[in-house]
Amino acid sequence: MRTRLAMLVALSSLSLPAAAQSNAKAVPRMPDGKPNFNGVWAGPAFAHNVGPNDTDTPVVTNFDPRRMAPLLAGAEKMFRQAPTGDVRHDDPTELCLPDGHPREALAPYAQQIVQTPDTIVWLYEYMHFFRVIPMNKPHPADVDSTFMGDAVAKWDGDTLVIDTIGLREWTLAASNQWHSDALHTVERLRYIDATTVSYEILIDDSKLFTKPWSQEFQMKLHPTWKLLEQVCEENNRCESGKCTPSDVQK
Amino acid sequence: MSKLAIVGLLLLSSAAFAHHAYTAEFDTTKPIKLTGVLRRLEWTNPHIWLYLDVKDENGKITSWGFSASPPGMLTRRGITKTSLKLGEVLTISGHRAKDGSNNASGNIVTFADGRDALIGQDQALRPAELASPPQK
Repeated sequence: MRTRLAMLVALSSLSLPAAAQSNAKAVPRMPDGKPNFNGVWAGPAFAHNVGPNDTDTPVVTNFDPRRMAPLLAGAEKMFRQAPTGDVRHDDPTELCLPDGHPREALAPYAQQIVQTPDTIVWLYEYMHFFRVIPMNKPHPADVDSTFMGDAVAKWDGDTLVIDTIGLREWTLAASNQWHSDALHTVERLRYIDATTVSYEILIDDSKLFTKPWSQEFQMKLHPTWKLLEQVCEENNRCESGKCTPSDVQK
Repeated sequence: MSKLAIVGLLLLSSAAFAHHAYTAEFDTTKPIKLTGVLRRLEWTNPHIWLYLDVKDENGKITSWGFSASPPGMLTRRGITKTSLKLGEVLTISGHRAKDGSNNASGNIVTFADGRDALIGQDQALRPAELASPPQK
């Protein structure tokens, strides 16, 4: 445990030099001087090639296997769970079940951050999920396991640090990779320039990986975007590939 | 990169981009490309559906349904509901539904004037879009 904590501290400190390099003058700021992350963002799953009319390109984004720490002995079975024939297990989002954190962050949909001095509200367009994240508060002593977990935030200089626990065993990413109920994540947001933010996420799953690992993505601010309605159940068809004429050719 | 690796990458991309596993619904060994008149458009989540009336060599018209990206993803790329007009002749390429019905994925749409656009889930079909802003 002590070794794992030491690794967490070491990985977190890797971000400090990069944070120090950010252009402090370019960072939008709140009245209290903290970086201002308010706005609608194209998250990690966009190319960030801003085109005419503030367009951007959704792009396939997953955790890079090369960034992952080695799996613990015997953990492969939990990490890559074999298909069972039950779509609820094999491909739960097909039934419009949630992505959950942290997979939700990698969905190719917009995300909005609403920031106050006391709270960060993170709204995800995909399936209308949200996280209400208090600043400078501890996690509750008894946390239920949920899809989005329990998150608390704090400032590390100009870097917003979000710590999340209480995640149920669920898919870590598409392609049938899973995480355990021991997953703990640390997200670090810092401005690179006035419209670009580095989004680094540390994955600490003591039931799966030999040590924590992290990956850095980017988010792009889109001043003209609004979150759109995304009701997965609206017209969900062809579940499990059973795409019958009566189902579709209405 | 070997052909096999490229195919693998394509399949991985497809699986990761949809709200469900692409390969569970569509048969990637059965590409399809059909031209017809856009009879109906469902601009809905989790995927839009386009219906083409496709005429065969005997003049018989068959309706085909194509499942493409969700409205939000298309909107972010600059494709809106008005980009697809009822009565317009379109050519759509994708993969057939695994159940053999007249349904398919809609990956690329080609308009009568030769313009085309990625409307589906397979980003690897249009890699240039990842490197440069979309053109008006």
